[in-house]
Amino acid sequence: MGKKLPNPRWTTIYGFMLPGILVYLFIVIVPLALSIHFSFYKWSGGLSKDFIGFHNYSQLLQDAKFWFSFRNNMIITLLSIIGQLGIAFVLAVILQAKWVKLRELHRTVLFLPVVLPAVVVGFIWNLIYSQNYGILNSLLKGLHLADWIRPWLDDPKIVIYSVTIPIIWQWIGLYLIIFMASIQSIPGEIYEGAEIDGATGFKKVIYITLPMMYDTLRVAIMLCIAGNMKIFDNIFVMTGGGPGNSSTVMAQYAYNTSFGKFQLGYGSAISIGMIVLSLGLILLSRRLMGGRSLES
Amino acid sequence: MKKATMLALGTTAAMLALSACGASGGKDAAPGGASDSGSNGGSAPSIKLTLEDRLLETSTEGAVIAHRKMIDEFKKEHPNVEISEESLQDATYKTKIKTLAAGNDMPDVFELLGSDAQMFVDNKLIMPLDDIMNQDSEWKKGFIPSTLKDFTVNGVLAGAPMQMLSTSLIFYNKDIFDKVGITEFPKTWKEFTDAIDTLKAKGYTPISLGNKDKWVAESSILSELGDRFTGTDWFNSIKNNQGAKFTDKPFVDALTALQSLSKMGAFNSDLNSIDNSQQRTAFYNGKAAMFFEGDWAISSLSSEAPQEIKDATHLAILPSVEGGAGKANVVSGGAAWAFAINANLKGDKLQAAIDLVKKLTGVEEANAAAENNAVAATIPTDYDKSKVVPLFNEYLEMFKNLEQSPIYDGQLSPAVIETMNNGLQDLLIQRITPEQLAKDIQSTYEGS
Repeated sequence: MGKKLPNPRWTTIYGFMLPGILVYLFIVIVPLALSIHFSFYKWSGGLSKDFIGFHNYSQLLQDAKFWFSFRNNMIITLLSIIGQLGIAFVLAVILQAKWVKLRELHRTVLFLPVVLPAVVVGFIWNLIYSQNYGILNSLLKGLHLADWIRPWLDDPKIVIYSVTIPIIWQWIGLYLIIFMASIQSIPGEIYEGAEIDGATGFKKVIYITLPMMYDTLRVAIMLCIAGNMKIFDNIFVMTGGGPGNSSTVMAQYAYNTSFGKFQLGYGSAISIGMIVLSLGLILLSRRLMGGRSLES
Repeated sequence: MKKATMLALGTTAAMLALSACGASGGKDAAPGGASDSGSNGGSAPSIKLTLEDRLLETSTEGAVIAHRKMIDEFKKEHPNVEISEESLQDATYKTKIKTLAAGNDMPDVFELLGSDAQMFVDNKLIMPLDDIMNQDSEWKKGFIPSTLKDFTVNGVLAGAPMQMLSTSLIFYNKDIFDKVGITEFPKTWKEFTDAIDTLKAKGYTPISLGNKDKWVAESSILSELGDRFTGTDWFNSIKNNQGAKFTDKPFVDALTALQSLSKMGAFNSDLNSIDNSQQRTAFYNGKAAMFFEGDWAISSLSSEAPQEIKDATHLAILPSVEGGAGKANVVSGGAAWAFAINANLKGDKLQAAIDLVKKLTGVEEANAAAENNAVAATIPTDYDKSKVVPLFNEYLEMFKNLEQSPIYDGQLSPAVIETMNNGLQDLLIQRITPEQLAKDIQSTYEGS
């Protein structure tokens, strides 16, 4: 314990950091700067560009389709926070209980979807939702709930909820692992003390587990917001943003504008808008959850 | 641990390099045998060409098979040219080529979609082919003239057309039509809607539609239906900015007619969540009486469908509409895709690229395409007719009496097409009125 920590010179520190910094610079900072640059132009690719100042941004503020796609992102994010974090928390608590058998197996099975590529998840759920051959509709028929059968991916009123369910399903495992780690780090003595005082299972969860893992929860919410603001691939595979624009999210709107309509300047402006809105939401969530730093 | 990682990386890299060599070597050697590649492989290739295309080796489409054959032959004939080729799926390709264009980093030879031609020419990414083609009149004469017109933008020939497509044919199951008592394919719009009612009453899906990828409703139905109402003059006026509007009554009428089909239940209800290959599934099962697609579906249908469906399938085009300005014997079609050459090529490299494009669009290719049930942009002269499926012969017979009208997504700007395709999904589920959609398309048209 009394050993002296190494005290390298700054050149050594930066020398070791340099590769990481360079990679980060070229795959994050430079494209971001380029995007900001392009967002001031009317540009359809190639050599000719017209500088138009903030015109793209003023157009973006009035663009109903953009705000509609933002609304879709918000719906997905809210449902994900409730669905992913809520279910993951309940499962984490249950898997912690003494009477649960085959804990490892449950954990592995629940974590499996996380490692699947989003495109695969999209295709799987496409099959599940399929009108004539889908397992969901045949299940409903089998349960004599045939009235519940809907055109799951064709009805603009429900399509955004239909595409959210696979997203929730996919990421529960990730938060489960995070929460389990967090719960395991809560000292057992606290629970023992509470048991002596007569606390039952439910009360232990509310008064000990939840407050003790508050910081983890904050990080999880941040991850959840960041992840869902840039969601793209599963929805793209399942509906392509359709019918019409009903399930289009911001990332896809940027993609459609850039590579469908070939308005690369405006597409860049949309991406920058996405970043601003996502950062805003994350800051807002931190404010709402209390401003304590993570270490305290 | 670290060592193990390094070792793994090294091995992977070596394997990649090896497999790359193996693949290209194998392809060269396969058709002519190993000795062949030995005899002409004396010197290393001096010219390197990059080729970007949609010619997947796994494809069953006749045109692709023909083009692949030409590439293999070109490699054998030109041992001094090394082609590094990347083949992508259609949708991925469209994105990739636009991304490359945005970075001003075009491949040496690539496939060009008609609607991108204007933009690429404006940005000086494409080598004009007029002079090159005029020097080889034999090559130029081979093309069906209208295909060359499709790729002439601002008076410049942007690419060598690679095919002659009809995009909106009706594939119908004659057994089903007979069973419900329709003896002849409808000739007028009224008869057509009556037939749909009859089919629906007997429990069939009249028209199987898979519009998830958003182009089927526009390219395979509306391009032709629109022309029935507006006539081709209207379209030319739109294309050349000569005053026609998407809000003009005939075009709105076409949208209304399309919507009325969906209102009367002509389509399956999951039309926006299945794609064009899934739309054929219902037809193969005998549950659907018709589907709309282009001639590329002929070869796919001939290899995929059960025999009794193959025998019962025949081709038709949309019936005439009352009071429409368009002719009734018109089918939407054209070249749609061409091979183009990078504007920056010079000298030997340019010559190699020209040779490759000639090989890919010449009469040999046309013959190979015909044997595989596809129509090239060049007229075939000599091919084995016994290799052709009956449905393709029926198509060729029909094609003689048809005229071509423009394909919307082959000719209009990407922004207009994007708005139209998205809007058609909404139109087909009654979420937007034809008038509103026409207005949306018009405002995109004016803005771009």
